[in-house]
Amino acid sequence: MRKPVSPLPCLLGLCLLAASAVPSFALPAAADGGDILIKNGTILTVTKGVIAKGDVLVVGGVIKQVGGDIAAPPGVRVVDAAGRYVLPGIIDSHTHLALAGTNEGSEAITPEADVGSVINADDAAILTALSGGVTMVHTMHGSANPIGGPNVVLKMKWGRPSEELVVREALPTLKFALGENVKQAGRTVQPGQTQRYPATRMGANAIIRREFEKARNYMEQWDRYKKAAAAKNPPKNLVPPRKDLRMEVLAEVLRGERVARCHSYQATETLEFMELAKEFGFKVQCFEHIWEGYKIADELAAAKIGISVFADSWAYKMEAAEGIAYDAGYCAKKGVLVSINSDSGERVRRLFNDAAKTMKYGGLSEEEALRLVTFNPAIQLGVDRVVGSLEVGKQGDIAIFSEHPMSAYTRCEMTIIEGQVFFDRASAAPKAEGGAK
Amino acid sequence: MKHSPRVSVPLILSVITGLILAAGPPPGDIGPTYAVSNCRIVPVTEPVVEKGVLVIRDGLIEALGPVDKVKAPDDAEVVEAEGLTAYPGLISAFSNLFLEQPARPEGQGAPFEDFPQAQAQQPQEDRFPPGPGLLVLDQLKPKRSAVEGFHKAGFTTVLVAPSRGIFQGQSVVLNLNGEPIRPMVLRNGAALHINFTTERGAYPSSLMGTIAHIRQSFIDAEYYAARQAQYAKDPAGLKRPEYDPRLEALAPFVRDRRPVVFQCNNVEDVKRALKIIAEFKLNALLAGATEAWRAADVLKKTPVPLLIGLDFRPPATSKYATQGDELRKKAEAEIYPGNAAALAKEGIAFALVSAANADGASVLRGIRAAIKAGLPADAALRALTVQPARYLGLDRALGSLEPGKVANVVLVKGDIFDDKAQVAKVFADGVLFKYAEVSK
Repeated sequence: MRKPVSPLPCLLGLCLLAASAVPSFALPAAADGGDILIKNGTILTVTKGVIAKGDVLVVGGVIKQVGGDIAAPPGVRVVDAAGRYVLPGIIDSHTHLALAGTNEGSEAITPEADVGSVINADDAAILTALSGGVTMVHTMHGSANPIGGPNVVLKMKWGRPSEELVVREALPTLKFALGENVKQAGRTVQPGQTQRYPATRMGANAIIRREFEKARNYMEQWDRYKKAAAAKNPPKNLVPPRKDLRMEVLAEVLRGERVARCHSYQATETLEFMELAKEFGFKVQCFEHIWEGYKIADELAAAKIGISVFADSWAYKMEAAEGIAYDAGYCAKKGVLVSINSDSGERVRRLFNDAAKTMKYGGLSEEEALRLVTFNPAIQLGVDRVVGSLEVGKQGDIAIFSEHPMSAYTRCEMTIIEGQVFFDRASAAPKAEGGAK
Repeated sequence: MKHSPRVSVPLILSVITGLILAAGPPPGDIGPTYAVSNCRIVPVTEPVVEKGVLVIRDGLIEALGPVDKVKAPDDAEVVEAEGLTAYPGLISAFSNLFLEQPARPEGQGAPFEDFPQAQAQQPQEDRFPPGPGLLVLDQLKPKRSAVEGFHKAGFTTVLVAPSRGIFQGQSVVLNLNGEPIRPMVLRNGAALHINFTTERGAYPSSLMGTIAHIRQSFIDAEYYAARQAQYAKDPAGLKRPEYDPRLEALAPFVRDRRPVVFQCNNVEDVKRALKIIAEFKLNALLAGATEAWRAADVLKKTPVPLLIGLDFRPPATSKYATQGDELRKKAEAEIYPGNAAALAKEGIAFALVSAANADGASVLRGIRAAIKAGLPADAALRALTVQPARYLGLDRALGSLEPGKVANVVLVKGDIFDDKAQVAKVFADGVLFKYAEVSK
């Protein structure tokens, strides 16, 4: 997959580095070639326990061995992780970085507006994410619309062309949203403007229902046409229906080829959305932020719907008023698949801190807390077969931390994607400090 | 004409026609013959002639060659050009010359605001202004000073592209042979122009919405063209497909593969355009593309005509623009001018265009900067002559000095892209413009 770096940008990049001391232009050490051996660290595999003093070998971007006393194959870079913690790259289940635009807010229903079409691989938030050990993010359409657009999963390969960032193994998702944002609670309607429908929570539910009914009708039209066209004596002058990108995406959801990721805060509207999903037979993969998840943890667990939430910072708006810091930890104990998300290109660098808060609020163990930003988001994104834990055969996405990642004193030292070092504090920090002067 | 005591309608019409025609060369009138003598000739497609004669007759090149082979015709006016070099007139296959569009009313996205009432009542499917049908020619206000500025930079031919909205309308190719617009027109409706921008306060308000909108528009145009064709073939037993002016204007670009130009504002736009081009099998060109070198791998795999702009400011989203002034300025001075040189090195074909650079002098500065950044001067010359002529489908008429081609010739003291070069005379369609008395 990896392509040789063309000489000009590379040279230019080097010139820039030398001249301006801006650290961000250091392209990842391409010479690594996806092979790396990490020695003598405390290995937090997440799924297969902890190895007190162990090694991880990545060859060709894939984890070849996890264990003790692994000999370095010839030419493979060795990283000494003595006294450090080696963990799977952190995964953010819900953010909005590396995009040229977040919301198609001009209309309420925009499933045609695909964030995958507007990736901006130049967003420096990718570097920010890397500095916090994040290797993969689910970058999403915003919450302005009851039905937003399809989302995309990216690896944080800074300096690589945008197409190399896209994780094609991930589950196709579509953003939905409920509550204050979609009813535009905070918006003052100016003279001459009209209030966008829906303006209430019941309206949000109604418009989503209406669109799915339209999509059903659209699918039926196509089915009828295809059946007629395939008949032995197709009718003369058979005219196909008009292809509609908006309906095509909803049809994917109804056919089960794309799952719903729904921004919701309050319990009642969330239950209503679950009813709607049941009625139309589509899959809700995850509720986003859901501050009142603790009120319906049993229902979520029974329906096998995950949640992706903040660790704290509740009560910043009316619909978050009944949020509690115990939301994530409590739901996790109730058997809900929980991840901690950043929702931002800045918080993304301290997801490990946020995950650790569930130990204090909710009583999760170190292992359980670490899962909230590694294996659990991997399951939510449908990529747990390839990332999310340190196991042989998985992609070599690895973070190395100075202390246990759930410690308040820890920091990320190195971030590796598919065996390639994309962030190394040892070389980045002095340059960053130089640049800041 | 019959003499009539009353002023007849035909008379008025003929007077009006006469007035219009008086603006350009009278039809059927034969233009002058010139023999440009003793100049160095750079035909671009043939080897350089060190001391030659170039014969121009009635707007076309009749002959050219060394002084001992080509003689000035008896009826020719001799233009003494010793010490000057003759080049084919440069072509900018993407410019904003003469473009004076009315400022966009607040909150309105597109240049069409004629019937706001009717638009508001249109069903959702018709909510877009009929941008694709707009002809930029109707909005042009030619200015002598602008023509002079481009002449003095060596240009005789420009494509003028519309500049507002997503589906911006259709461009015109002009030969800069004077001030009246009609005699300049080489081709109207040259290409459809699309920009990856957004509508203010209306759908689409985001780039992802814009991309969906572009795709849905081409889907609809294909559908419309197919329905109309089916109906034209045999309407019996078919419900008449409804006329739609916007899709009617778009249909030729999918049905007949007429040229479409995508304005690419950064490296990602290049990739976005390539995806849309592939999806609808468009006959497309990319304009601007000041970060094209960053997509060199993709462009080598999927060759597409490139109209490379000479604006070296890093795009707002670029990593070169978002991390401090120092880096941005450095990138503008050292990295972005190297775009064309990098493409040439990779063997990727392109034309250089004036794009939004409004005056000839700034275009010339851009060309010189690209050369200083490593673009060989002969590659630059080809990128401003034969290459754009080919991209515009006008290479039988333009782009080099050859007998039979349009007499677009610039006579320069010095090498055309040299800092000290001075354009002395310009022929456009065989019309002579004198700019500087240049000493030998």
